[in-house]
Amino acid sequence: MGKIFVTGMGVISAIGNSVAENRMALAAGKCGISQLELIDSKFKQQLPCGEIKITTEDLKTKLQANTKGITRTTLLALHAFGEAIKDAELTEEILSAPGTALISASTVGGMCLTEELYQDAQKTAGGSEYLSSYDCSSIAMYLQERYQMKGHINTINTACSSSANAIMYGARLINSGRANRAIVGGVDSLSKFTINGFNALHILSAATCTPFDEDRKGLNLGEGAAFLVLEKQEDIGNKKVYAELTGYCNSNDAFHPSSLSAEGDGPFLAMKGALQQAGLQPGNIGFINAHGTGTQNNDEVESKAMLRLFNTPPPFASTKSNVGHTLGAAGAIEAVYSILNLQHQEGYPALNYKKPISSTGLVPADSYKKMQLEHTMSNSFGFGGNCTSLIFSKA
Amino acid sequence: MLYIHQTTCISAQQTFPNRELETLHDATGNKLLAIEPSYEGIPKSALRRMSKPVRMGVGAALPITGHSTELDGIIIGTANAGMEDCFHFLKQMVEYNEGLLTPGNFVQSTPNALAGQLGMLKQNKGYNITHVHLGLAFENALLDAVMRLEEYPTHNYLLGAVDDISVYNYAINLLDGRFKAEQVPGTGLYNSGTPGTIPGEGATMFLVNTVKENSLAKLVGLETIHSKDEAEIAHQLKIFIDKSLPANETISLLISGENGDSRLMKFYTACEDLLPATTGIVRYKHMSGEYPTAVAMALWIACGIFQKDALPAHMIKKEWPQSEPGYILIYNNFKGAQHSFILLSNPA
Repeated sequence: MGKIFVTGMGVISAIGNSVAENRMALAAGKCGISQLELIDSKFKQQLPCGEIKITTEDLKTKLQANTKGITRTTLLALHAFGEAIKDAELTEEILSAPGTALISASTVGGMCLTEELYQDAQKTAGGSEYLSSYDCSSIAMYLQERYQMKGHINTINTACSSSANAIMYGARLINSGRANRAIVGGVDSLSKFTINGFNALHILSAATCTPFDEDRKGLNLGEGAAFLVLEKQEDIGNKKVYAELTGYCNSNDAFHPSSLSAEGDGPFLAMKGALQQAGLQPGNIGFINAHGTGTQNNDEVESKAMLRLFNTPPPFASTKSNVGHTLGAAGAIEAVYSILNLQHQEGYPALNYKKPISSTGLVPADSYKKMQLEHTMSNSFGFGGNCTSLIFSKA
Repeated sequence: MLYIHQTTCISAQQTFPNRELETLHDATGNKLLAIEPSYEGIPKSALRRMSKPVRMGVGAALPITGHSTELDGIIIGTANAGMEDCFHFLKQMVEYNEGLLTPGNFVQSTPNALAGQLGMLKQNKGYNITHVHLGLAFENALLDAVMRLEEYPTHNYLLGAVDDISVYNYAINLLDGRFKAEQVPGTGLYNSGTPGTIPGEGATMFLVNTVKENSLAKLVGLETIHSKDEAEIAHQLKIFIDKSLPANETISLLISGENGDSRLMKFYTACEDLLPATTGIVRYKHMSGEYPTAVAMALWIACGIFQKDALPAHMIKKEWPQSEPGYILIYNNFKGAQHSFILLSNPA
């Protein structure tokens, strides 16, 4: 297996519209979770979210994307995708080469348009401009068409681990010789659908989330997108390189549709498998960007799985306290953050943390620190027991 | 190298648990609804909570996962599993004005609910993934299985596809112009000369590994293409055949994804024109109906042909001379934008 490097990144989230803005905000401990302004929900005042304060219309103008039926989800993806390909200096020719793959991920897709969807499903004639846009694949289909891509195209949906699996699938396409490079990532936008869904599960917090805190009250939803450009060592030349993708593993918890088992076998096996793939020992990992949603179930189980594997876990934190839980985009956004950890040799703090979970006693990294990092891990776990861990190493 | 070892199919025809294709089951209300079995193997309490795609998927997968072979992972392709629950939840949300809602439908609304459910039922903690790339969701699942078997040659995977006709996706897709307005019973679908097709649903499952012995079919080649240009598709098919088909071999049979949509005939004609005069043509969308992962049923049909199962006359568009087909090509096309070629060989 040859080496795979990250040569470009793009991200948009509630704490910034670019990789540089996101890094500044993370280092400064900025929290982007706020009262909803752009979504008309009954819970506007009650449930804060990691909302990107740019209207869909403004995104269309900024990105010159006025195609009929385009959704906020696709626009956020386009924003991050555009930054990533520019960063990796991918020309139009390279983008449309048969060796350039695109692997996208989303859980909400075009269902951010809750009202339109509801109306369309009742109609017998007419219909809105969004009839082909609700599907999760509509994002990759738009990017494929816009950039005339001819390589392998796919969309993955494993709930909240979707884009971690997109990164893994892209890397495997390259390793198998089926692609020379892969643009991989994911996107989700806030929607009334997910706000009400997670609210019905009683796992949304009315205050800003407090991952890994004993008194955590649940998660905050967020929106955003991130894409990474993965390239083979031999194709890179003297291009700048952010990190090497050295480990990835997907495992299933096989326990419950919407919660993790007490033992956390899925998270444990995903982290262990990623270490094996990378040929690393637990002690080699310098920082973990944990899944850390801020729910009772996740944070305790993830902590126990980390204790089981690492004995004494390395510094860890969850950036969901900065941007909220961005669902299908979380794996890719947090992969970018894990790479920023390596690139700038720094650890970002868990915000709002006060006291350790009593059953584990684990204390997350609670302040910004310069650190010597060789390898970082990023965890993503989703409904359906879908757990994936990624490892990035200093290039 | 990927070999198929077991396969099951729940469809609008009599395909599960026993196979009887001679009698053609026509559409009801212009929908080819699946003939669902009684699901003896699923605990009644679990069955009640399952949505149709999860139910069909689990039902089709149980005989396969129940085999003595240990599974190393579950790989599913689906475009709209979960949409029914999604809409139920949406409806609840609108009708109760974001009031007190029950989360059951929301949890089941993600397309990975089936793969997750199968992981739980089989207590399988291995690789577990759901590909949702619309008309290429199953092809991506198949490619994923190929890559997993290259990476782990001793593994066994449960590979499958499922999609259903839900109230939601039927209404939306009908408005989108995907379906015919008029009734077209049986193979009349192919002669309608009108745009649109007939919706269908089903679940198809496979056990795949790298063992040749006792296998049903061998995967020789797989290609996926995004294009709206029939000349490009023909060009790509030529490249695919040159690359995948061994010299001195011919394609005995084409399983065509023709679905009666007059707008898509140019693609099928372009592909048929490239094949030798001796290549037979089989069609199946009048049995399955059209859905994003219907191509999985073509793979199930190919496995049957290699096992010398008789094909009914209503499936045959063009006869072929060989009694034992060596190579079968499957061409599928979704909405004239997503295309796939799958080449299989007879492992016997």
